[in-house]
Amino acid sequence: MSGRPPERTGPRTTLQKLLSRFHFGITLFAVALSGATILLAGVTTLRGYADRNMELAARLGAYGVEPALVFNDPQAAREGLEPLMRIPGIARLRVLDDRGRALSEWTSPVGDPAPLLTSLFFPRPFAATVQRNGSVIGRIEVWGDSSTLIDYVRLGLLAGLGCLLVTALGTIVLARRFEYELVKPLNEIATVAHDVRLHRRFDKRVQPLGIAELDRLGGDINALLDELQGWQGTMESEKALLAHRASHDMLTAMPNRSAFDEQLALRIQSAKQRGERFAVLFVDADNFKAANDNHGHRAGDALLVALSARIKETLRKGDFAARIGGDEFIVIIDPLDPGIAPETLAARIQSSVSQPVTLPGGGEYRLRISVGVAVYPDHGADATALLTIADAAMYADKMVNRPKI
Amino acid sequence: MLVSLFLMGSSFAAPQLAIQSASQTIVEGGADGTTRGVNRVLGGIISYAKWPGERPGAARTMCIVGDPRLTDRIAPAVAGGPTISVRRMTAAGVTGGGNCDIIFLGQMPVADRQRLIAWVRGRPVLTITDDDPNCSFGAMFCLSGRTGSVSFSVNLDAIGRGTLRVDPRVLKIGSDGGGR
Repeated sequence: MSGRPPERTGPRTTLQKLLSRFHFGITLFAVALSGATILLAGVTTLRGYADRNMELAARLGAYGVEPALVFNDPQAAREGLEPLMRIPGIARLRVLDDRGRALSEWTSPVGDPAPLLTSLFFPRPFAATVQRNGSVIGRIEVWGDSSTLIDYVRLGLLAGLGCLLVTALGTIVLARRFEYELVKPLNEIATVAHDVRLHRRFDKRVQPLGIAELDRLGGDINALLDELQGWQGTMESEKALLAHRASHDMLTAMPNRSAFDEQLALRIQSAKQRGERFAVLFVDADNFKAANDNHGHRAGDALLVALSARIKETLRKGDFAARIGGDEFIVIIDPLDPGIAPETLAARIQSSVSQPVTLPGGGEYRLRISVGVAVYPDHGADATALLTIADAAMYADKMVNRPKI
Repeated sequence: MLVSLFLMGSSFAAPQLAIQSASQTIVEGGADGTTRGVNRVLGGIISYAKWPGERPGAARTMCIVGDPRLTDRIAPAVAGGPTISVRRMTAAGVTGGGNCDIIFLGQMPVADRQRLIAWVRGRPVLTITDDDPNCSFGAMFCLSGRTGSVSFSVNLDAIGRGTLRVDPRVLKIGSDGGGR
């Protein structure tokens, strides 16, 4: 009775896919975490740099526009601002004189790509006062824009995407490697199990795999296979024993009736094919019942064993003898030499049996047998006919042998 | 511009201060605007010039020779800078030990001008004129007036010959067609 494990519901996956997914998840998490950290740190740092950049730009502008403010010269102010216009990340510049009137103003022709980000990043313009000999003569204001930040974020995202791609590739490679290192040994175990189940190859064993857990599994499977092999051996020998018991007589260890029927059919077939002849001898003990009655069952058994032994003695290689009933035996003489008369065979067995048998309780007993012969194909071409003829001949013999009253 | 002039005005100790202060009351008028412009430009030029061995805040003397063409009320305004006393002198007075740091060359005989220019060479003296629109007679800075504005140009050769140091930013404004 084998209990089937409950079927798992839902689609099944392979170990490789599982590992792949697991790897991808972990690496994705790592990349995302580090990417976010780097991006955040980068943005913070960039913010610091941008602030400093704006400050420096404002100071540079203050230096550049100082004479322009002294001479109240808008054209010179514009020229003083020119170096700043080439600095990326500056959206707007304004120079104010000491009364707060604009002397020069410039707005970057490149539009702000993300005004919202800019307002978040640079909520106020960076201002620097322009001083001349210790007194304030004007002010310069610098507005930053988020273009550099956006460039950085874009680059960061691109790099992140690249990392993701590399991650995916790496995951595939790792999964392949895992498949090689883990799935292959597992497959080996599965192959052994499959072989054992399908082909009854109980001699198969899982080879050492080099992975402790799998080796333990393999070891357990091997131990299980050892046990199975032991059971299988026992079972086979028991089966052979049972088969022997089914086809043999327990007492004389001779083949029984069913074995004989089988054998006879085979002999007929083979003789027919080769055009040979063979003889069937029906042997029946005449005075067995008396021995059984007078000397007991043990003596009867001993007589039967002795009788079978005597019959066996007369057999040549290839001949066949069976005990088909209580004191009935059948001998197949195959092949039958053309020069030998079947009666000679009967006589030979009778003379062999006629030697006295020592009984277990002491004393001797002289068995007599009647023998009937039938020859294939002379007397019959099938088992029934042969047996009928042999039986009839035996019976005739018995009539002759019967002691006259 | 006006405010800076007010601020400058408070630091003037010379008699011209009174004139300058009085002139500030006049809001409108081309001549008055030109005067303010001239003084502002003069103050700027002076503030960007450096005399060798100069102590910060040292007073400067400006000697006016000849007749200034743009305005006769010259009182340079330097915000937070040195006090500048203005004196009218003759060319001979200047060369004869007038102790001038700045010479303003107005309209004068060509001989006098040449003498002064020659005398200045190698001396720590700043020369400014308002009678040389092309700035070719040898003065370091040349003012010229147009309607509504005062401009100046730079004679780099003259500056190179002198021993004064002038802030390059000013030279740039004055030479690149700036300083309108």
